[in-house]
Amino acid sequence: MSTFSQHTLRVTRNVFVVLLTGLALAACNPTVTRVESDTVTDLSGNWNDTDSRLVAEEMIQDALSRNWLTKYNREQGKAPTVIVGTVRNLSHEHINTRTFIADMERALINSGEVEFVASADERQEVRGEVKDQDLNATDETRKQMGQEVGADFMLQGSINTIVDAVSGEQARFYQVDLTLIELGSNRKVWLGQKKIKKTIEKSGFRL
Amino acid sequence: MHLTATCRLLALVMCCAVVQSCASYGRHAVSMRDGLLTGQPQVSLAIAEQKDPQKQDVIASLDKGMLRRMNGDYRGSNEIFEVAKRKLETLYGVSITESLASVTINEKLSDYKGDWYEQLLLHAFMAQNYIDLGSLDAARVEMKQADVKMRELGDEPEDDAWVRYLEGMIYESLGEFDNARISYQKAYTVYREKGGTYYPEVPVTLKKDLLRLLAWQGMWDEYKRLKKEFGMQDYQPYKASDEFGELIVILNNGLAPIRSQTIIPMYSTEVQQSLQIAFPVYKQPKKNLNTPQVVINNNRTYAMDKVEDVDALARYSLQQAMPGITARAMARAVVKYNTQHTANDNSALAGFLMTVANLVTEQADTRSWTTLPQAIQLSRVLLPVGEQEVAIHMKGAGGSTVDVIRETVTISPQRPSFVIRHWTAPVQREAVKPDTTKPVAVKPVAVKSDGVKHDSGKQGG
Repeated sequence: MSTFSQHTLRVTRNVFVVLLTGLALAACNPTVTRVESDTVTDLSGNWNDTDSRLVAEEMIQDALSRNWLTKYNREQGKAPTVIVGTVRNLSHEHINTRTFIADMERALINSGEVEFVASADERQEVRGEVKDQDLNATDETRKQMGQEVGADFMLQGSINTIVDAVSGEQARFYQVDLTLIELGSNRKVWLGQKKIKKTIEKSGFRL
Repeated sequence: MHLTATCRLLALVMCCAVVQSCASYGRHAVSMRDGLLTGQPQVSLAIAEQKDPQKQDVIASLDKGMLRRMNGDYRGSNEIFEVAKRKLETLYGVSITESLASVTINEKLSDYKGDWYEQLLLHAFMAQNYIDLGSLDAARVEMKQADVKMRELGDEPEDDAWVRYLEGMIYESLGEFDNARISYQKAYTVYREKGGTYYPEVPVTLKKDLLRLLAWQGMWDEYKRLKKEFGMQDYQPYKASDEFGELIVILNNGLAPIRSQTIIPMYSTEVQQSLQIAFPVYKQPKKNLNTPQVVINNNRTYAMDKVEDVDALARYSLQQAMPGITARAMARAVVKYNTQHTANDNSALAGFLMTVANLVTEQADTRSWTTLPQAIQLSRVLLPVGEQEVAIHMKGAGGSTVDVIRETVTISPQRPSFVIRHWTAPVQREAVKPDTTKPVAVKPVAVKSDGVKHDSGKQGG
């Protein structure tokens, strides 16, 4: 066997051994860094907290600035009451819709312009508690059943995605649509929309 | 001189460490599946849970997920499947260290990426978990992820027939008939082109589903053309009604085959020597499966169609991978032979150690997802609304009933009810009580043959 191939073989082997040792040592301790909650950290390209924050900001700003609110105030003389319905996930990722819905609720309630009542899931527990008070609490502090505030509007929505993919590259388009529907008349009074587009490229090589 | 000796020693130490984890996956799979084959899935789950506590290995996560599913823990199953999915996402592309390892030691050091059909079936089983948990929307999300994978998998989209069929059924249950029709058509294309080889022949249920959706969408040209092609001139699509609903029974039957290793001497022209090379093979022939039958209310019996043959897919997939495996194995054998030779030139001891290391690490990669079912079978039945007793009878070779899986299902007209089960062996259950309930006559579903056109977007069923 020629010395050249001997040498190449030796070099390959040495390189491999060094790499393996290096990798073994690198896997010793995980590093944790605290960052601001609004720092953009795009790791895998999936839906993350930045997307949720962008959607919430857009929706809040849009909902408070549109005509439906002033119209309702003018006609009824009070703040509208909204109940949160289902936001359907029609996308290709398991997205937690509660994050931006909760942001919206908080911002709208804090602005004083909109009131919210407990949604269908939340009020099960509340009703259970009121029923329990009927049996166990004193007369003065007992809350009566059947005193709930009926909502004027229902908030529904959906998240849709369009994905275009070839091997190693993906272009993802998210569209979040939220609708306010007037209960009783079933009129849609507000439609909020947020579009987000991302391109993801995966490297053909990894360590 | 000292440096190379140290390097060699290090390499040997590495090899020894590697050999610890080189325990054949095949053997672990056999002991893990013992519990399943004797009707005690909880035993198999216990064995699987002990492996890979750091959740780094895709195969261990896949096995755990499937076994948790078989034991009824759908949420836990999806949790670990999600871990496997995330790990698979990071394994995209060619790894430099893995390539080096596969040329010098063996291929088992590479992270397991799974065959393309295994990656797609991962999504299918996650979707089935979500269906069992009652969230059809989440199942739909999984199918969309599978769709992206199928489109992404290469220059030509590589569809898996069963995944497309399942996708269609999920869309249909959610009332999205356009999407369902497209999925059924894609599934039909795969069955038609590859049926009889590594996919089963076109299932009769798919033919009926496709015709029904074409009729509901009003696509009459295509409907008539396919009706003629299927030879189903008497078929009439049922109309939606409040009196009956659909039951979909999916049976995951048996277990996928395990790969074993065989060592073959091959002559290498490069070093003018005959070298020992280890290959993964399927030693056992395809097993005969028990035939399932769906029995409703101890009265009517329905056959089940085979919709996916995982055994055939596994064998086909290994056959396709063989040229690559052979080439890499040959290259590896040459490298090992040369290192032995070099070591021998330097010292007899080093040469001996190198030979031992090379021999011990010469192992074939026998990993595959062995807790997958061997075949998947399906039946779709129209039943009257209300409670129905559904039983899946597993028939043995002589036609006798080997085991029965029972379920009480409430049929609703709005969306189909799913019964998804796994079967590997008769499970230890309480003695089956003698049937004292009177058999309820199942009304044969009358379908009006008036060929009424249906508007698209109708709420079917």
